[in-house]
Amino acid sequence: MAAPADTEFRRAFQGSFAGFAARVRRRHALRHALTGAGFGLALGALGALGLWALRLGELRPFAACVGVFGALVGALWAGKRRWSDTDIALYLDARLGSSETVTTALGAALSGSQEAALSHVLEQANDVLGKADAARVKPPLWARWHALAPLSVAAIATLSLIALPPAPKPAAQAPGADSVRIENLKGLERIEALAALRGQNPEQDARLKKLAEQARKLRESLAKGLEKREALSEIAKLRDGIAAERLKLGDQQNRAGLEAALSAFGTNKSLQQAQKALGNGDLTAFDEEMQKLANRAEVSDRRAAKEALEEAAKEARAKGAKGLAEALDAQRRLFDKREAHADVLREFAQAMRGKLSAEAEQDLKEFGRSGSPRAEQSLSKGLEQALEGLTPAERKRLAERMQKQLQDNDGEASPMSKQQLEDMAKKLSSEAGVEALQEQLRELAKPEQSDDAQRERGLGDADRGGSAAERGLGAVPIPMSGDPDPGTGQGTPGSPGNTDKGGTPGTGSEHDKGTAEHQGLTPPVAGKELRSKAEPRLMAGAPMHGATLGRAPARAGETANQVGAGTLGEARQTEVGAVDHADIPEEYREQVGRYFEP
Amino acid sequence: MPDTTPSFEARLAQARDTSLRLKRAIAQVIVGQDAVVEQVLWGLIAGGHVLLEGNPGLGKTLLVRTLSSCLDLRFSRIQFTPDLMPSDVTGTNVLVMDAGAAGHGGRFELHRGPIFGQVVLADEINRATPKTQSALLEAMQEHAVTIAGRRHALEEPFFVLATENPIEMEGTYPLPEAQLDRFLLKVSVPIPNEDELTEILARTTGKPVGDPARVLSQEDVRSLQALCREVAVAEPVLRYAARLVSASAPDAKDAPPLVRRAVRFGAGVRGAQSLVLAAKAVALLEGRAHVAFADVQKTAAPVLRHRILRSFEGEADGVSCDQIVHELLGVVPTRPEAVERAAQGG
Repeated sequence: MAAPADTEFRRAFQGSFAGFAARVRRRHALRHALTGAGFGLALGALGALGLWALRLGELRPFAACVGVFGALVGALWAGKRRWSDTDIALYLDARLGSSETVTTALGAALSGSQEAALSHVLEQANDVLGKADAARVKPPLWARWHALAPLSVAAIATLSLIALPPAPKPAAQAPGADSVRIENLKGLERIEALAALRGQNPEQDARLKKLAEQARKLRESLAKGLEKREALSEIAKLRDGIAAERLKLGDQQNRAGLEAALSAFGTNKSLQQAQKALGNGDLTAFDEEMQKLANRAEVSDRRAAKEALEEAAKEARAKGAKGLAEALDAQRRLFDKREAHADVLREFAQAMRGKLSAEAEQDLKEFGRSGSPRAEQSLSKGLEQALEGLTPAERKRLAERMQKQLQDNDGEASPMSKQQLEDMAKKLSSEAGVEALQEQLRELAKPEQSDDAQRERGLGDADRGGSAAERGLGAVPIPMSGDPDPGTGQGTPGSPGNTDKGGTPGTGSEHDKGTAEHQGLTPPVAGKELRSKAEPRLMAGAPMHGATLGRAPARAGETANQVGAGTLGEARQTEVGAVDHADIPEEYREQVGRYFEP
Repeated sequence: MPDTTPSFEARLAQARDTSLRLKRAIAQVIVGQDAVVEQVLWGLIAGGHVLLEGNPGLGKTLLVRTLSSCLDLRFSRIQFTPDLMPSDVTGTNVLVMDAGAAGHGGRFELHRGPIFGQVVLADEINRATPKTQSALLEAMQEHAVTIAGRRHALEEPFFVLATENPIEMEGTYPLPEAQLDRFLLKVSVPIPNEDELTEILARTTGKPVGDPARVLSQEDVRSLQALCREVAVAEPVLRYAARLVSASAPDAKDAPPLVRRAVRFGAGVRGAQSLVLAAKAVALLEGRAHVAFADVQKTAAPVLRHRILRSFEGEADGVSCDQIVHELLGVVPTRPEAVERAAQGG
């Protein structure tokens, strides 16, 4: 049992120590709360600065709430880091210089020990605490950083009152992000015209119609307003679609067949131009050359052309170029028809000899020599005029002469031509018949193209339309295959110095032997500057190894297509047709090919 | 029957008074060296042994002799030399012939060695062989000696004061660390300053001064030692002593860089016990019934300096053990950081 004095000391110590401990803890918590408020307000001031900079003016005063939050955090922190009784006893001893009397007494009070020494220490601790100056043992309340609080309050108040900074300038629009509104973009109607084009098969028909529909929708969208880059992207897609529909005679599938077919045309000099057109994959030009050959008076040329067509189709089919073979077959069939038309026109003109104008006579000669469609049209017109001036008696004599010609030339003219000539002779007997005859002559003069040529022409026209649409939007169009001149959209004449007349425009190549009327000069190119020019060294110096028809062993955008050594070095078997063998998307291949197309 | 036991406060006051008288009596003979005298008294009151280290002629032996004169305790002195045998320290059984037995019938009789004194001066302890040192150190630890297989308890209080000379190391046998650990304190005896030396000359070159009067009886010494054990120590102070000792080990988490670099082995458990006991003696001599942080700090150097084994690097760099203890005192905090900061008014 504890001695009464000891118990009294213990109780007295506990009472006085509790009082000191409460005071110390209160100030400790208050100091932490002030610290929290100071830092919170500083943070709030930074927030107010940020809000001011962001022009969120109405939120600025609320930044002071961060200070309140900081004070709460500080108080919570103080609660968490609350000093233990031992800490307070150590603090009191340090402040009072009591040599750990209070700390030892606290241990004695807590242990309940009745040792004499502990009682003595308790008594001494009571004495120390009793004499202690409360002001002296108060923990410090203020710290330097507490000055942050009033400074931060002032900063928040200032930032809440001052005017907001001027609004920043809006960021510049991305290139092409501007919206365009065009009622009727020129060029799109040429793509829409694809809907009327006949495809090779129903699937292609559907695709062409779809392209036309897309062009129509684009035109409507442009009328409502559309981002320029989006419009350009749509046009690029359309052009890609058009390019994909074009007949590719030089691709991996058709190349071998094409090479074989070309060799069939190499047997006759009169077929040289046709061979070149086919070699270039230009079915339109090839069709025109075939038209000329069919129109020619020289039977051997026509026979050679027919035989070449048949042989080429056969070779192409044998090499697996099915598309090319079909195109050649169609051309062969069309050749007969054209030949018959030409025969009719020629025979009729022969019958009209003597009644024809000098100009018509010249056209007849030209028609027979070159088979030029222009001469054909001119001759047809001359025949019409000559017919108008005939009296009934003259018409009767003409009919008789035609019958005689038919009998004299029996076996030379085709059955179809004979039939037509007989019909024409009959028509000469009446006025109405003469009118029908004139109409028939006009029909005969109209050029008849192959389906493939028509389609290629239509696709080319659509592509040029796309190019025009791109220019209409202010973009520089990418040159496409079959796009003869990006600047004008028209074919450039042949090389200077060629005096041939009456030909169709050439492709612009310096090797072209086109017969366009250019009087030895080419018209100025409408492009603003030279965009690109491929100058491969393929043809420099000596002829290339295995080169045929002046073509390089590799084409623009492709790799070598022949094994052997050339200007570019040795092409190995694995490198031949590497691009075609490579796993490159067709769309990308087309783009690269187009870019490098000379 | 009334309780005649004096109160704690009276005993405390008496202890302080006695110690003051003892210091005054010693001061009649020993000039200066207050700190040395003080530390020797810590050892006496705490019941431990003291190793005095100092150059020759600084009054180490005189101090011990004077102390023994002031105490009513049996004094003995052993001058350690290389040829000193353990039996010279502990004593031995000698054959005593009985004169009446006419040639047959002798008996062994124990001749007690100097270790059987109560205040034993082991002079120049490092000059004896380890075997002889070991005999003394065993007695210090056990407070008993074994002679011819028989254990003989030493009379309490038993207090050994050993001296050693830090120079003239030729032909000496330095005490191993395990045996140094048996000493509660290692007291460095400094060279006296000019005033002290003048006073020494004045006192010792004139008429001889008589021995000082006895101040403490055996009972007084025992009472002081018992009272020392009663002194209270708060847990934070005990923890501080423990932290100090722990930090003296180079692989300790809180060891300062100097300790990591210059110390090979730190103090052990006996070092911590010695630290607290010595601090209690300090508190008692200052008339307190409890130990303060300052008491621990005051005793740290004499308690720890012979318990810290320096590394090769430490020795090569000339880092002394006192420097290491000073570093420890500067690094190891007495109070938690927040409390210390608040106490400093920050």
